[in-house]
Amino acid sequence: MTTLDSRPVATEVKDNYLTFTRGLLSWIFTLDHKRIGVMYLFAVLGSFFVGGVMALLVRTKLLFPGRVEWMTADEYNKAFTLHGAIMVFLVIIPSIPAALGNFVLPIMLGAKDVAFPRLNLFSFYLWLAGAACAVYSLMAGGFDTGWTFYTPYSSQYSAGGTIPVLVGVFILGFSSIFTGVNFVVTIHKLRPPGMTWFRMPLFLWAVYSTALIQILATPVLGITVALLVIERAFNIGIFDPSMGGDPVLFQHFFWFYSHPAVYIMILPGMGIISELIAVHSHRHIFGFRFIAFSSVAIAIFSFLVWGHHMFTSGQSPLMNVLFSAITFSVAIPSAVKVFNWLATLYKGSIAFNTPMLYALSFIFLFTIGGLTGIPLAVLSTDIHLHDTYFVVAHFHYVMMGSALIAMIGGLHHWWPKMFGVMYSEFWGKIACALVFIGFNMTFFTQFMLGSQGMPRRYYMYQPEFQIYHHISTGGSYIMALGFLITAIYLIHSLFAGKKAPANPWGGASLEWQCTSPPPHDNFATTPRVGDCYDFSAVRWDEKEQGYVIDTEAHIAAASSGKGH
Amino acid sequence: MKRRTTVLTMIPTLLSQASNDPALAAGQPVTPRDFWLPQGASTVAPEIDWVFHFINYINYFFFFLVVGLMFWFMWRYRQRGREVYARGPSHNTMLELGWTIIPTIIVVVIFFMGFKGFVSLKTPPENSYQIDVTAAKWYWKFKYPNGATSDDLYVPAGRPVKLVMRSEDVLHSLYIRDFRVKQDVVPGRYSSLWFQADNPTGQNEKGEDAFHWLFCTEFCGTGHSDMNRKVFVLPEAEFDSWVVEQGRWLDKVDEKDLWWKAGPQLYRACASCHTLDGSVGTGPSWGNYDGTGNVWERTKPGSTHKIDKGKNLGDIIGPGKEYETPEGYLRESILNPGKHLVDPYGNVMPTFKGQLSDRGIQALIDMMKNLDKFNKDGTVKAEAIPQAAGGAAGDAKK
Repeated sequence: MTTLDSRPVATEVKDNYLTFTRGLLSWIFTLDHKRIGVMYLFAVLGSFFVGGVMALLVRTKLLFPGRVEWMTADEYNKAFTLHGAIMVFLVIIPSIPAALGNFVLPIMLGAKDVAFPRLNLFSFYLWLAGAACAVYSLMAGGFDTGWTFYTPYSSQYSAGGTIPVLVGVFILGFSSIFTGVNFVVTIHKLRPPGMTWFRMPLFLWAVYSTALIQILATPVLGITVALLVIERAFNIGIFDPSMGGDPVLFQHFFWFYSHPAVYIMILPGMGIISELIAVHSHRHIFGFRFIAFSSVAIAIFSFLVWGHHMFTSGQSPLMNVLFSAITFSVAIPSAVKVFNWLATLYKGSIAFNTPMLYALSFIFLFTIGGLTGIPLAVLSTDIHLHDTYFVVAHFHYVMMGSALIAMIGGLHHWWPKMFGVMYSEFWGKIACALVFIGFNMTFFTQFMLGSQGMPRRYYMYQPEFQIYHHISTGGSYIMALGFLITAIYLIHSLFAGKKAPANPWGGASLEWQCTSPPPHDNFATTPRVGDCYDFSAVRWDEKEQGYVIDTEAHIAAASSGKGH
Repeated sequence: MKRRTTVLTMIPTLLSQASNDPALAAGQPVTPRDFWLPQGASTVAPEIDWVFHFINYINYFFFFLVVGLMFWFMWRYRQRGREVYARGPSHNTMLELGWTIIPTIIVVVIFFMGFKGFVSLKTPPENSYQIDVTAAKWYWKFKYPNGATSDDLYVPAGRPVKLVMRSEDVLHSLYIRDFRVKQDVVPGRYSSLWFQADNPTGQNEKGEDAFHWLFCTEFCGTGHSDMNRKVFVLPEAEFDSWVVEQGRWLDKVDEKDLWWKAGPQLYRACASCHTLDGSVGTGPSWGNYDGTGNVWERTKPGSTHKIDKGKNLGDIIGPGKEYETPEGYLRESILNPGKHLVDPYGNVMPTFKGQLSDRGIQALIDMMKNLDKFNKDGTVKAEAIPQAAGGAAGDAKK
């Protein structure tokens, strides 16, 4: 972090949040939502690196169908477990709300900070504590349960680091809950005059829906892992049938959280895409209300479908039928969003900036991820596909191809705002293309692997599957190269990037109306708001090398209902 | 069941060259492997595959629609210059209702198709041939009605087969991909699945025995990926002689060794209801409970063990009574368990008629007579094994 402080800021007229105070302590004890967001960002990206290395180890092992000398079955099991647990609990769940959301949300509201700045800092330290538990668990023998921690394997047989990592997940849950509470209160109480619910950026609708899920679902995860720790530590039978427990009960508890958690991961991503598509198409978002309400609908439906993870678990067939039927209800709002994004492109003025390339990649990948969910929701075909690579491919298309790609798109979108510098557009596009190609090579082949019947979490496999694994692993190396290039040009931009204008893309929401990087207090006075998707008052300014917005005309257009 | 031929039903048929010919061609799949799916070899496979392909075609349509429109708009409406403000419609209620309602109708149809297939998957025919499956870290054990066991699964062709499964430790899941069936095996409860394979596996082109893979699909630790076995489908007559031959293990045990070699093996089927240590189970313990002695002692003449709501067990055993000997009573209790019920237990035990041979019943009764020589978990005590066979203790444990 100190390197950021030493960045040359001679050209700045006045202090920004990065230079407002100096020294390590000013970061450790900061209550500034922007600094907390930046700390989250680097922590999450660091975890993403570790989780990514684990994925590459797993993929490299799978080049070979049999045993390999450099990785035993137990090590392989620990590697894929670590990959899954890190990516879910340390990366994707906090990535968009806690890192980007923390930075952008108050500025989008024209507020000086979130409602509870101290709670915000506390939840970051809870995240660090949770991550520390995960690191400790590696030293205590690691854990090999898969990220799902199914009992009774996890309560009796798994490796020695299981309890520490469960404690870590428990703590991370509270980090997530506190962030959610903070955002709900902030959005309710700190909206500026004139920003009605239907004037609020769609990213905030998405983050708001996400926060509701975080608050309502995450306590169940906390209770579940606490019960599991109690069972494992004190031999009190809750889930283990040899002590009178019920392992299927664990699956119900676990998925009651973890299915909504899927939407904790994807909803904020959808919110980012709504912003990106509108801003880089320079045109009013199509069907604001349908997109906004579909976020809320997804949040509500997400609580009613957890049983579709358990069609083969032995729960009653009647439950399977009900859960299958309800699951389809999630497909509708997701489809509505995709169609609305498409309609936003229609008659737009589409600029192919790096963030937009990620947004377009998202539409491509999310369409595949969403459609391949259908054969998994259908009872008879899911029996064949359940727990095969088809499921692995499906959720990677949604979790990585969608949620994480949206996060990276958002990162590129707001990077100039966060650090006041532009990255290399050339390398940005190259890296995006590599990630897109690599991703599809890696995971599309896994659809065939799965539908041909290869089970997931297999250390060894039948030689007939080898060709698919070779393509898949090759793709993962290409993807890794793309991310490596991204890391290099982003870090390079921090030191040598061109100074960013206040509004490089032509956005009309409030964050583009303060300087890049924003000052400590974001806005000197509470800003007046117009329609954040009305770009009629946005003009390119050659001198500024960025866009400027005619505030008076912008607000006048909104109050007269014109500008669409 | 004949499906009306429509354009939609023809699509997957054209793609996969699916054959509806029910001829029992050995080694022939019901549906051959295609780009997406492995060969189909069970009676439910064609229906499930049809649904899968049907969904695929819907998915292709929507994928190319979305991505096609996206690329078209990307090219047609690309930014020209930096004068940016673009005027497009901001909403269109009819259009938006349209793309909400049409997908809703489509998914409702798809749901019912999947529901129908699921009902067939979950409804085993009455006359199913039952095979008991035990899963444990990290092996499968298949047990046939006559007591025969095997490590690979053998099933008769053209006959519905029901697998009744239990786990000894953690979750496992039995998956036979060519049959399109999968079911978790959960410790502490029984789960089941059924299938019918009409075509025997026969031989492949190299002259080796062909088979279908059986995989474990629920992560169970170190040896998870080792838990794969082969499934052989034999013509019914061939299967019948195979299972008889496989079941001969009992005949090979010496008469005097039945009680400790065969008894404990057979007792494992009894163990889930009948404990040996007197503790309460689904059925009366074989061990001593309520001070009435173990199961053999309770059948002695004059026994006051209560049966049939208050009668004494001793009243029905003995010369001139319903059963001349205790062995007669025990045999009846295995073959016709509902006839007399030990108080306060209900009529829940299934009959073992046809599953246990006379020799098997003899082995169990011999075990009851020597119950003090067994550990509480049903294994024979090492010191109780007859001297001449001392080295073979491992066999009995297995």
